[in-house]
Amino acid sequence: MEAFLPVLVLLAISLGLCVGIFGVSTLLNPRNLPPVATKLNPYECGVKPEGGARQPFHSQFYLIAVLFLLFDVEGVFFFPWALVYRESLASGGALLLAIAVYMGLLTLGLVYIFRKDCLEIM
Amino acid sequence: MKELFFIFFSLYTIAAALGVVLAKNPVYSAFSLILSFFGLSALYVMWGATFIGMIQILVYTGAIVVLFVFVVMLLDLGSVVTDHSHSWLTVMVSAIAVWFFSLLMLRTFNHTPLVAPATPLAESNTRLISQLLFTEYLWPFEILSIFLLALIIAIYALTRPDAADKRKVHP
Amino acid sequence: MTGLEWIILLSKLLVIYLTIVHVVPIMIWVERKGAALIQDRPGPNRVGPFGLLQPVADALKFLVKEDPIPNSVNRVLYAMGPFMTLVPASLIVAVLPVGDFFEVQGKSYFMQIADINVGLLYLLSISSLGIYGILFGGWASNNKYSLMGAMRSASQIISYEIPLGLAAVGAVTVYGTFSLREMALGQEGTFLAVLPRWGVFMQPIGFLVFFISAFAETNRLPFDLPETEGELVAGFHTEYGSMKFATYFMAEYMNMATISGLMTTLYFGGWHLPYLTDATLLGWLGGQRNLLAVLQFLIFFFQSCCLPAHFRLGALDGAAFPL
Repeated sequence: MEAFLPVLVLLAISLGLCVGIFGVSTLLNPRNLPPVATKLNPYECGVKPEGGARQPFHSQFYLIAVLFLLFDVEGVFFFPWALVYRESLASGGALLLAIAVYMGLLTLGLVYIFRKDCLEIM
Repeated sequence: MKELFFIFFSLYTIAAALGVVLAKNPVYSAFSLILSFFGLSALYVMWGATFIGMIQILVYTGAIVVLFVFVVMLLDLGSVVTDHSHSWLTVMVSAIAVWFFSLLMLRTFNHTPLVAPATPLAESNTRLISQLLFTEYLWPFEILSIFLLALIIAIYALTRPDAADKRKVHP
Repeated sequence: MTGLEWIILLSKLLVIYLTIVHVVPIMIWVERKGAALIQDRPGPNRVGPFGLLQPVADALKFLVKEDPIPNSVNRVLYAMGPFMTLVPASLIVAVLPVGDFFEVQGKSYFMQIADINVGLLYLLSISSLGIYGILFGGWASNNKYSLMGAMRSASQIISYEIPLGLAAVGAVTVYGTFSLREMALGQEGTFLAVLPRWGVFMQPIGFLVFFISAFAETNRLPFDLPETEGELVAGFHTEYGSMKFATYFMAEYMNMATISGLMTTLYFGGWHLPYLTDATLLGWLGGQRNLLAVLQFLIFFFQSCCLPAHFRLGALDGAAFPL
């Protein structure tokens, strides 16, 4: 836990940098400029903006996020394996088999997604 | 010294969690959730569970809250969701929750000191976890992969981006 | 911690962090001059010799320009968006080993801000926080194009985080530790008596995967869909002006620098000069060498900025998962 103390200090310093950037830019910005409609409206290549900003969205985004979550959790279990893999090679390849089964099953999942065209563009 | 850190991080986590519940806008709630997970991760690291602390940020903050944020952002709920009046039912339920919680706290504080002396681990936390995972808990590990596979199939079945949708997008 | 340890920590911190922060203006200049060289045009040449003061001029311009805040934005998150990318980009610097140890009063300290046991995991998790600045910034702008750009960028980044993590796992199997310092230490000496014992020779495929994912993570061409000038105006930072825009860019360049640093640590020997083995001498030289290696990568990043065309979104995500 002591090793993380510098991280806290770095966090404090970077937050200080952010506040500094924000403060300096606020100080140096020109104030009292007239509010022009074109500046204040959302930008759409010069065309008058229409419609709300939040439209119905493709479920594809959600699917990618969930698939990312599942494969991320899979990756999490790779980390402890990687740590002890080298040592376990000396005592036989049992760990290799274990991870091969694990990876194989999840590759099946990947193949399934591919075959079902889940990753096509929206 | 360690107690100070513990108190600070605990209060911070509680404040962020309160922010999740009390925020008007769901996007603010999601942001508070991210902050509270940081606090949680700091607490995990303080107790020596560095692996879980990092995985907490990697998986929870980096993936699960992304899911929440995707949905919350794209559905533009605004403050419609949070408009409600406080009926007597709400008050009663909150009172019961507070009572249970305070019972739990009293029990905990009567039996354990605020900061327990930390026994240094024989090896690093991650190494201990990996050693256990592949000896005693090997079967659960493999079953977990089957579980994840089932989840993959389930999520496809739920969202089902099939040909009909695609024809709409690409005429 | 004693006073001396605090002083050493703070000096290490300031030196390493400020180095990375100051690399940003250098990178801006290298990018513009380099792109100009490749595209057979002069590039910035008015401000200072060879346009070297161009980044300074840019920074001053950004500071002094007006920061228009459109009416319909969500003020709190709009203001915080850029800083939400800057903070994780800064935190990653904590675990990069810059050099070997140096001795002060008999105790040796390592040139690394925080020697965390699970350094690699820390790095992967903090870099996965970078997307929130993009997501919240794009949403707060209340602009269709910003939101679309933010979503696309976020889905690109998360898709390529998995190959990044798994390639790093490959490196972990070779060195048997998550600590970046140990990984760099493990790349001493030679392999087959000829090649230096670098990760790139032990794990070539891992390196390739990591390299490609690194491009995707930092939104660099050929993966720069979030900033496609042809398609989405300016992506998620359409509504941002002056310093907030500059902060986004600073965070992006810092991300590039830190991922290059990670690449040198994992695959190119960290601070080890090839074929030399004396430790303390290398402490200093090594720090310089590390920086050089990092810069070399950055230059590679920039070259590739000009040359290839960029991918379509679907091809991108479709490629990520098998990768």
